[in-house]
Amino acid sequence: MGQAASPPDQGLTRRGLLAGSAALLASACAPRRNPAALRLWAMSYEGDYSPHLMPPFTRATGIDVEVQSLPWTASHEKLLTAFAGDAMPDVMMLPAGWVGEFAMVGAIAPVCDPALVTGLFPGLTEATRYGGRDHAVPWSVAPQAQFYRRDLLAAAGYDGPPLDWAGWRHMGRELKRRRPGEWVFLMPLNWWDALFTFAGQAGAKLLRDRNTRGDFASPEFAAALDFYASLYADRLAPPMLSTELQDPFAAFAQGAFAIYPRSPAMLLDLRRRAAEIAPDRWGVARMPGPRGPAPAGGISATLAVAATSPRAHEAWTLVRYMTGVGAELEFQRLIGSLPARQSAWAAPQMQAPVLRPFRSQMTELVTEPNVIEWERIRIEVQLVAERLVRGDLTSAQAMATMNTRADAILAKRRALVDAGRIA
Amino acid sequence: MAVTVPRARIRAILANAAVAAVTLLTLLPLAWMVTVSFMPRGEANHFPPPFWPSRWSWENYHELLVRRLIDGAWFDYRMVPALWNSLGIAALSTLFGLLLTVPAGYAFAKLRFTGRERLLRLLIVSLIVPGQVAMLPLFLIFKELGLVNSYAGVILPSLAGIFAILFVRQATLGIPDEMLDAARLDGASEARIFGSIVLPLLAPIVVTLALFMFLGSWNDFLWPLIILSDQHRYTLPVAVAAIGREHAADGELMMAAAVVTTLPVLALFLALQRFYMNGLLGGSVKG
Amino acid sequence: MTRQERTAWTFTAPVLAIIAFVLILPTLLALALSVTDYSVYALADWANLRFIGLGNFTTLLTTPLFWRALGNTALFSVVGVPMAIGASLLAALLLNDATVRWKPLWRVALFAPYVTSVVATATVWQFLLNTRYGLLNYGLSLVGIGPVDWLGDPRASIPAILIFVTWKIFGYNMIVFTAALSAVPQDLMEAARLDGASRLGRFRHVTLPAIGPTLLLAAVMSVAGFLQLFAEPYVMTQGGPAQSTVTVLYFMFDEGFKWWNLGQASAVALILFVLILAVTLVQARIGRRYEWL
Repeated sequence: MGQAASPPDQGLTRRGLLAGSAALLASACAPRRNPAALRLWAMSYEGDYSPHLMPPFTRATGIDVEVQSLPWTASHEKLLTAFAGDAMPDVMMLPAGWVGEFAMVGAIAPVCDPALVTGLFPGLTEATRYGGRDHAVPWSVAPQAQFYRRDLLAAAGYDGPPLDWAGWRHMGRELKRRRPGEWVFLMPLNWWDALFTFAGQAGAKLLRDRNTRGDFASPEFAAALDFYASLYADRLAPPMLSTELQDPFAAFAQGAFAIYPRSPAMLLDLRRRAAEIAPDRWGVARMPGPRGPAPAGGISATLAVAATSPRAHEAWTLVRYMTGVGAELEFQRLIGSLPARQSAWAAPQMQAPVLRPFRSQMTELVTEPNVIEWERIRIEVQLVAERLVRGDLTSAQAMATMNTRADAILAKRRALVDAGRIA
Repeated sequence: MAVTVPRARIRAILANAAVAAVTLLTLLPLAWMVTVSFMPRGEANHFPPPFWPSRWSWENYHELLVRRLIDGAWFDYRMVPALWNSLGIAALSTLFGLLLTVPAGYAFAKLRFTGRERLLRLLIVSLIVPGQVAMLPLFLIFKELGLVNSYAGVILPSLAGIFAILFVRQATLGIPDEMLDAARLDGASEARIFGSIVLPLLAPIVVTLALFMFLGSWNDFLWPLIILSDQHRYTLPVAVAAIGREHAADGELMMAAAVVTTLPVLALFLALQRFYMNGLLGGSVKG
Repeated sequence: MTRQERTAWTFTAPVLAIIAFVLILPTLLALALSVTDYSVYALADWANLRFIGLGNFTTLLTTPLFWRALGNTALFSVVGVPMAIGASLLAALLLNDATVRWKPLWRVALFAPYVTSVVATATVWQFLLNTRYGLLNYGLSLVGIGPVDWLGDPRASIPAILIFVTWKIFGYNMIVFTAALSAVPQDLMEAARLDGASRLGRFRHVTLPAIGPTLLLAAVMSVAGFLQLFAEPYVMTQGGPAQSTVTVLYFMFDEGFKWWNLGQASAVALILFVLILAVTLVQARIGRRYEWL
């Protein structure tokens, strides 16, 4: 693991730290706090690798940080339980989609310093705003891009994948014709990323009536859904769940698939498992859009400070450090995450060709509905899409079912909006 | 007639072999758990699955149990705190559980008081209520009391030992009334009768009950999962479930975690199995 | 108040108070909660709480996943009970054979899985059931059966979990059945043998009637156990694949503690309660018929 940072970045890190500790000194009138360390909770790779960011921070500020790594799939209930039980960590990672919810219940504090949320990629702070105030600092962004097998595409006469839907599907059919026993697109039916990327590119609004009802029968969403389903109908993508694939990365590396739409986390896998697939065998491109690349959503991770944190000032110092350019770049090296701060992208390491598609996608982000029910609706919609792909529903039925489910989940919100209690 | 003896012998051999085979099959997963936990990382992911480590290695236990410094950063699964938490919670649940239920069970069996029969019926009826129904409101109550994410929050619900009361009562019924009445005539106080006459007679039952309570608390999952949010407070099952979500691919590490979680109680069970089995079959006291 | 009475209350009051506080009171509150729309909005502000009558129950009836969970739970019980009871009976019959030696040893060994932690052993079985490297598929490959995707295929996931559950719990009823078997009248058995009844005949006409009530009771009690499956799918499949292992309790946990819809989740809890109550009533009836309890 590349712990030794290159000199210029270390400089940046140190500068960020100095700014942070200066701010801390300004408030040094406060007596010596609780000797226990500042607590940080983060999920998945971020949680596992965050400890690596801490030694320089502790050296510069004297603040100890204790990191707990939460499993993604259990993090929502753990965080809410912690809030209910007054056991919140001082600083926590939140996917942008949860910020509104945690802000509404009063679990997280508004961002104290506007400088923390300036200089970010446009569109990112829309998702973290609640009641007109920022409640979390965007940290990293994970839009989808397509990883493709250069060798397989070249054999079919393609330098890279076409970036419009029709061309993409046509390429898929060509690849399938040459290798009828293999698949083309690795899009497991329990992952919603691909469908929602297509929907974003088609310009689907997803919810309507002030986000109180599903809008899954719109012509835009219909176009995305039909395109999505056609890839399975043409047998270009397998009607399988990720669990059935067991190890999707290995399937891609072994050539069972030519195209693998995924987030930047794939870059870490590609580095760690370089023995399975040589670097010259794969490439990255933007996801195809209806008529060429288009804006799409990207899951972004944010950092928030608990409203109840007794050490809010130190907590914000930590957030400032972690979302600063130096730490962002260090993390990019460690786990491949993409900095939300635009100035970080000027660094040499961000000029790598594999990052280019991500960068161009990040300048065109769409914001998904900022309501607390969104996470659940997305899961439900994907479950209905799975039934469409499996032939249990027609596409008209599927879209009607998606709306019914979304409306049921939004019932409470609808009642509150109608009563004028929330916006 | 000469045929019958060998036939009976063959039958005996077959029956014994069948029992041995079934037992072996039953213990296989546990044995495999132990051997894999000693394999070097990645070794279990081979076909055919290896049963014996190519070399015995402590690395999985080391990674799991010891806080390690990697490139200046601390990595910690917090299994050792979980082990202490599990031990402490199970011990306290058992201790308080016994203190609360053993006297109560005796009272329901041998002491006359108004409303006894009605309360007893009520207890039997409440036995039907599945604990899960109470969990959601209980969480809200505990939230108001500040018991969420606390040891007390884990232990308190386990003290509602209706089954334990009925179990002790059943056993106590076997003690002859004459014995207690004689003591009363001699002027012994009720507390003394309980302490020096009843309790010694109940000793085996108390051991059985303690074992039930300890194992029950140690293996409890749903409520600790709900009520605990800080990793420093996790019990072993909650910790293992959390580690498993992120390390599903690291078989050897997870087996080590499973060994740490199962071995202490398996050892306890084996040491005290006589009491456990007697308890299962509705142990009684011969007075 | 007599001296005995005073002592009795000192002995019983603390535990009765705790039972009232952690079991009875919350159960009554669950009734109250189930007619409200308590959700994360109410967590934010109590003023957002509304009384909605049976709204949670009618919503549940139109929620496909709830029906799915009920169906899965029913499937778990319908397949699981015969599997578990069958395994217990088989083991008990084997152990009961007069020629078997070292019975206490076998009994303890076969019972051992029952006392282990579900989470830990479920983790072990997750690996035993692995499609490529699992011991189970290896065993099957030796007899020429191709690899089964136990935990990834929606059709195999319930049987896979049931194999684990059976392994884990069969020891309990095995002990119960061993006790029942030892009470089978030996003179009747001897008479049947002298009448020339076959082994199967003796089992059907002597053993089965004698242990029948025990079997029935064990089966009904197992249903109640299978209705409360949670940790197994939570650890092994997280309710998947394709929600094929979402049980009623798993649904309640997700609805309540993941999405914080405590009103809706309480309704689920009460439905679970009614199901268990129904099973218990059946159990009580059986008990009464055979003059126990």
